[in-house]
Amino acid sequence: MVGKKRVAVIGAGMTKFRRNLKETGKELSYEASKMALDQAGLELSDIKSVVMGTAPDAFDGVHMKGEYLADGAGAWEKPYSRVFVGGGTGVFAVDAGWWHVASGKFDTCLVVGEEKMSSCYPHPAYAFTTIFDQIYSRPLGVTLIWIFALEMHRYMHVHGITKEEIALVSVKNKRNALDHPCAQLGANITVEDVLNSEVLCWPVQRLDISPTSDGAAALVLASEDVAKKLTDDPVWIDGVGWCIDSTYWTNRDLYYPQYVQCAAQMAYKMAGIKNPPKEIDVAEVYDPFDYKELHHMEGLMLARKGQAAKLTAEGVTQRDGDLPINPSGGLLGVGNPIAAAGTMKCCEIFWQLRGEAGKRQVKGDPRTGLAQAWGDLMQYGSVVVMRS
Amino acid sequence: MSTEKIKDARRMVHWPGHMETDYIYTLGIAGEKFFTEMKNSGRIFAAKCKRCGFIYLPPRIYCERCFEKLTEWINVGTKGEVFTYTVAYVDVDSSKLKEPTIYAYIKFDGAHGGLIHKLGEVKHEDVQIGMPVEAVFKPLAERKANINDIKYFKPV
Repeated sequence: MVGKKRVAVIGAGMTKFRRNLKETGKELSYEASKMALDQAGLELSDIKSVVMGTAPDAFDGVHMKGEYLADGAGAWEKPYSRVFVGGGTGVFAVDAGWWHVASGKFDTCLVVGEEKMSSCYPHPAYAFTTIFDQIYSRPLGVTLIWIFALEMHRYMHVHGITKEEIALVSVKNKRNALDHPCAQLGANITVEDVLNSEVLCWPVQRLDISPTSDGAAALVLASEDVAKKLTDDPVWIDGVGWCIDSTYWTNRDLYYPQYVQCAAQMAYKMAGIKNPPKEIDVAEVYDPFDYKELHHMEGLMLARKGQAAKLTAEGVTQRDGDLPINPSGGLLGVGNPIAAAGTMKCCEIFWQLRGEAGKRQVKGDPRTGLAQAWGDLMQYGSVVVMRS
Repeated sequence: MSTEKIKDARRMVHWPGHMETDYIYTLGIAGEKFFTEMKNSGRIFAAKCKRCGFIYLPPRIYCERCFEKLTEWINVGTKGEVFTYTVAYVDVDSSKLKEPTIYAYIKFDGAHGGLIHKLGEVKHEDVQIGMPVEAVFKPLAERKANINDIKYFKPV
């Protein structure tokens, strides 16, 4: 076993994901944390450490927002830290929570992911423009969407993948989200709807992208001895992994996320997983754009390079397929409050492995699940593997 | 939780804030050399790692792979090929651009990597991945030692 203590998830919670929620980031953090504590059957005083995951300060518009959010995340007079690896934050926060408990230092850890993007007015896209390299990229007028469009186009070109094949991801995830009570953009749409939506930066169109969202999600982690006293159904964190690639776009192979592969290999090795597509029963794969679900499935070795679109077309990744991907509805359907979205994915895997996902529950009796997020300058991968 | 669907954030009871701050970004040791060469002589340089052979474009003063100090600078010419591209129809606020802008990752022969820049003197429907292109520089007097000293890349 890696670490001194085996670590369990014993409770999860999340807010609705919406644009323009009235709640402040602190209040959103509180709502998600309280729900996770209630499910775990714990009081705040039982929590021995807190990890807050939240992405660029510029979204909430509060410089040093880790400190700002602390009380809403239950950190009063507690060991507290904020972790931040861009879009990878929401899953990395769970990785960080894992080491708090696995080290033996704390019996419990509350992990919270939060983002209030709609504070950035009129559009949080402005905040994204300042995440890029100030010497080589920003003087060109870089926007988030055209940077992604470059990667999407390269991925399509190398494997000969079509827009139609990629659009199936958006159709699937938005439909899945219809069954999620917190979802922002659940919808029945068609491939044609995606292909007819506004072209933003070719090949990226409006319905290829996740929305602007506010929200929070939280998990309660506990050491094995504490978890077994509180629940008969702990979900174990058996693998964690994280990795970063070069921050220079032009020094990466855009068609393949090597950093996701490295993070996944780290987590799989720890969890003893040798054949990911056979051994993973359900996965929440980071999908801020539809092509990213395919890209990441390949990086996670859930599909061979260039084959994820084929699996999607065959229905393998549907909720009732052999390898359900994003049964929650993902970022495309549930919404994308950056760090909260990654933590939401960990919540979904927890609920799926406990059989508590309601209408979203995947078929069979899933025992092993994976959540993954991706971020920083789009070259960071974070992974968690859980087992019931 | 709040449940009201609100399209415009200004409809909520709020305080309008502002976080603008200005910055002076130094180009760094590698950046100053790179952009000074570009400005003065229209040459594009990469930096080679003697230990692992990786040739960095944009250039750096250290190898991020083995941490060797980089001292060998290589003139990689002004030509490359389109590795991938996008046609931007909207600006950062989703407003329509007057003219679509083509942005590309231009991969240089003789270097690992390349530069992201605009394409010009070409219609977007004629651009292809793999297409050879070359840098078009601003006139010497207008160059300011930044990435926009290159106006754009055009088909060769």
